Amino acid sequence: MSFLYPLGLLGLIAIPVLIIIYIIKNKYTEQVISATYLWTLSEKFLKRKNPINRLTGIISLILQMLAVIFISFAIAHPVFVLPGAANDFLFIIDGSGSMNIASNGKTRFDAGKDEIVSLIKDSADGSTYTLIFAAEETEVIYENLDDKERAVNFLKELSPSFLASGFTDAISAAQNYFNENSGVKTVLVTDKDYENYENVTLIKVSAGEQNYALSEVTPSLSGGKLSVSGTAYSYESDATVTVELFVNGSDSAVASQQVELKKLEGSQFTLDGGDNADYRSLRVAIKEGDGLSLDNEVVLHNIKTDNSYKTLIISENQTFFIKTALKAVGNTQIDEVTPEKYELADYSGYGLYVYDGYSPVIMPSDGAVWFINPTVSTEKSGFSVQGVVEPEAPGAVFVYNPSSATRVKNLLRGVVKDDITAFKYVKCGLYRNFTTALSHGGNPVVFAGTNGYGNREMVFAFDISDSDLAMSVNFTTLVYNLLSYTFPSIVDETVYYCGDTVLVNVLANCNSIKAEAPSGKTEYLDVSNEICEYTLKEAGVYTFTLIISNVSRTVNVFSQLPEAERFTTVSEQSFVISGEASEQKRDGKYEDLLILFIILAVIFIADWMVYCYEQYQLR
Amino acid sequence: MSLVINEEFLQQIELLQILIKNNVAGLFGGNHKSKTFGSSCEFSDYREYVAGDDITKIDWNAFARFDKLYLKLFLDERQMHTRIYIDASRSMGYGKGKKDEQALKLAAALAYLSVCEMDKVSIYVIRDRQVEEVVTNMLGKESYLNSIGKLNEITFDGDSYISEAILPSTVGYGDGTSVIISDFLTDNNYEDAIDHLAGKKRDILCIQVLSKEELNPKIRGKMHFFDSENTSRFYRKNINREIAQAYKKALEYATGRIGDYCAARGADYMLVSSEDALNDIFFNKLTVKGVIK
Repeated sequence: MSFLYPLGLLGLIAIPVLIIIYIIKNKYTEQVISATYLWTLSEKFLKRKNPINRLTGIISLILQMLAVIFISFAIAHPVFVLPGAANDFLFIIDGSGSMNIASNGKTRFDAGKDEIVSLIKDSADGSTYTLIFAAEETEVIYENLDDKERAVNFLKELSPSFLASGFTDAISAAQNYFNENSGVKTVLVTDKDYENYENVTLIKVSAGEQNYALSEVTPSLSGGKLSVSGTAYSYESDATVTVELFVNGSDSAVASQQVELKKLEGSQFTLDGGDNADYRSLRVAIKEGDGLSLDNEVVLHNIKTDNSYKTLIISENQTFFIKTALKAVGNTQIDEVTPEKYELADYSGYGLYVYDGYSPVIMPSDGAVWFINPTVSTEKSGFSVQGVVEPEAPGAVFVYNPSSATRVKNLLRGVVKDDITAFKYVKCGLYRNFTTALSHGGNPVVFAGTNGYGNREMVFAFDISDSDLAMSVNFTTLVYNLLSYTFPSIVDETVYYCGDTVLVNVLANCNSIKAEAPSGKTEYLDVSNEICEYTLKEAGVYTFTLIISNVSRTVNVFSQLPEAERFTTVSEQSFVISGEASEQKRDGKYEDLLILFIILAVIFIADWMVYCYEQYQLR
Repeated sequence: MSLVINEEFLQQIELLQILIKNNVAGLFGGNHKSKTFGSSCEFSDYREYVAGDDITKIDWNAFARFDKLYLKLFLDERQMHTRIYIDASRSMGYGKGKKDEQALKLAAALAYLSVCEMDKVSIYVIRDRQVEEVVTNMLGKESYLNSIGKLNEITFDGDSYISEAILPSTVGYGDGTSVIISDFLTDNNYEDAIDHLAGKKRDILCIQVLSKEELNPKIRGKMHFFDSENTSRFYRKNINREIAQAYKKALEYATGRIGDYCAARGADYMLVSSEDALNDIFFNKLTVKGVIK
C-alpha cells in the first residue's frame, strides 16, 4: 500500500491530542446516592460475556480515534496493490499520415483505436485514462478520465492527420505523467518500429501493406508539346506499376507507362502529354491500388491559364521600350491608342492600362494602371504631380530602396543594383500607401501601390527614353517584377506537401476567399491584407475560390502526403520514459468510500460532542 | 425544614377518611370481627357442652328440644392494635427523593384511618438494631391529634436492621396489622421480621417507598456513586444504556423478591413512589391489594 497524498497522514497527530483531551475531560463524576444496593445488584444482570463491555468506558474515544484515522487515510488516499485493482492508463496514439494506410478496409489508425478500446473495456472499474494524440502537434485529448464510455467516445471521434508526427512532445508529456505517478501504464499505439523503448507497452498496428507513391512530378513544355516526368516508389516490395496521365479532369488517360519498381528505390518515368501545352490541370496516377491511395496521384494546375489579361497602351510617344518589355515577360495581348482617341472613346475591359507621357482625366476603374512620366495629377491616382525636376549633368542617379520589407524585396527581386540615371523626372507627392522602389533626393521615381479604385498601380516618374534604364539589364527584370505585382497570381505554386503553408494573394477588389479542403471542410480567409496564409492539413486537391467584384475565380492546389509518411515501415530511435516503474495501482472502487468515511466521521464527532455536553450537564 | 405533619396535611387525611368511609367498608377489613369466639352480642354457632364450660352460656331452649346440653357461641370482638414501623435509615432521607416525607405521610394517614376505626395505633421507627417508640397506644382522634406531631421529630440517619430490630420487640399476637414502611434497599435481613409477624398472627403490610430517581434513573456517563448509609460502599461505572437496562432488571428483581416473599407469607406488599399522591395510593394501590375493601 502506498499513499497518493502522504501529507494527509499528518491528521494522525490528532490522536494523541484526543487522548489527552479524553484524559483531562473524562473524569468520573462523584455522587452520593441513598443506596448503591440496586446499582450493585445490576452487575448480576449485565451480559458479562460481551467483550465490548470492557471497552464501553473508552468506546467513545475509540470511535473518535477511528474517525481521525479514517479521515487521515481518506485524505492521504491509500492505494492498494490488489489483484484486479484499477490502473492509470496513458494511451499515446500515433496520428501521423502513415496511419492512414489501410489493410482489409481498415486503416492502421482504426486498428489502433480498436486496440485501445479493448484495453479500456478490459480494465478494472475505477481505472483512469489519459489519451495523447501525437500528430503534427501533440494534443492531450483527455486526462485522468474515469468514465469508460466517454473515454471510448472521445477516442472514436479522432482521425489521423496527413502530416508527419513528432513524438518529442508526446515523450515529454508521458515522462511528466510518469514522474507524477510511476504506476501509470503507458501504451504507445503506432505503426513504427522502435529499436529501444522503456516503461511503455508498444502496440504495433502495421501489417506489411503494399504502398506505391509518386514524387517529383513535373510538367515541361517544349515546342508546344507537353511532357510530364516524375519518380515512382514502392515501399514494401519490388513491383511493376502503370503510371497514367490525365488532362483537364478527363477520365481517359492520354498516356501511360509501365514502370519497374525496386523496393525503396525511385524509378523515373516520362509521359508524353501531346498537344496539351495549355492544359488547365494534369493528373498523374498509379493504376494499381495499395494500402495508401493518397500518395498514388499528383494533380497539377496551370497557373498561367488563370492569369491571362489584355493591355492598353495610351501614348503619343514611341512605346517601343515598354511594349518590348511587356512582351518579353509574356504579355502578348497589347493594344495601342493615342490620348486623343482615348479621350474620345470609352475604353474598358482591359486588365492593364499603361499611360505613357499622358495622364487621363478620369482613372479607369476596371483594371490595373501604369503611369510612365505622368504629366498632371489625376483624381484617385493616389499621387499628385508637383513639377519636373531637372538635375544638373550627369542627371539624377536613382537610389534603390534599401528596405528589407517583403514588397520592396519583391519589386527589386533579381535586379542588379547598377546606377540608373535620368536627365529629368517628375516630382510626385504620394497620398496613398505606395511602396517606393527607386527614388532621388527623397522623391519617389518608381513606386507601386493601389489607387482609389483599389486596383494595383505602378508609376515610372520619368520618361524611359530620358534615362538609361531601357538599356540596362535590369529593365526587363524590373518590368517583370512590377507586372507580377500588378497581376499577382492567386498562388505561386500548385503543388505542396501536407503541412506546407500556401500564400494566397488577395487580388484587388477581392471580397472573399474560400478555401475548400479535400474532406469538404471550408474556411474563409482573412482578406484584409494583401497576402493571407493558409496551412494545408489534408492530402488531396484544395480549391481556393476568390470573389472579385462579384465574379468568382478559382484556383486548385494539390497537397501531397509527406514523403516520410509514405513508408510502410519506419524505424524510430527510441521511446524511453526514464525512471523506475512501480506496481502502484488505483483503488478506484474504494474511492467512493471516502464520502462514507466523512459521513461516519461527522456522526462520530457529533456523538462525541453530545457526550461531552452530557458530561457537562452532569457536573 | 417544614413540618411534614401539619394542619394542611391533617385536613387532607380527614378528607381522605371521609372519602374512604363513603366508598369502602373500612381499613383492614372494617369491623374487626375476630376469628375467635368471644362475648359479643352476635350469635355465631352451637356446640355440645363439655365439662368445665361456662354454664351460663348453655342454651336451655335447645336442651328442652333436644335433651342435650348445647352451648350458644357468640363472636368475639376485640380492639385492634395497628403497629406501624418506619425505616429511619439514612437511605430513606437522603437526597431529593423525599422518601422520608412519603413514609411519614403514609404512617400518619394509616394511623388516622385506624384511629377512626377505634383501633389503637402505635408508631415505631427502626433505627439500627432497635425499634424506637414514637407514639404508642393512640386511641381516638383526640389522642391522635395530640400525638401525631411527634412524627415530625423523626430523623433519618444511620443504618437499619429490620429483622434484628423487630424480632426482640413486642409485636402483639393476632390483634391487628403491622405495617413496615421502608425502601428495603439493603442486604440486611427483613424476611425474618415478616416471618415473625406472620407467626404472631398479625396482618402484615410492607410498603416499599422508592424515589423517582431510583425507579427510573436518567443518569448516564461515568459515575462514582457512594452509599449514603456507608460511604465505603460505592459503585463506579460508565453508565450506558446496557447498564441502565441491567438496573431496571435489578429493580424488578428486588421489588419482585420482596413482593413474592410477602405473598408467600400472606402479607400484603405495595410499591410506592415518593412522588405518588396519597389519594392515588389509597384508592388505587391499596384497593388493588385488597388492603382496603
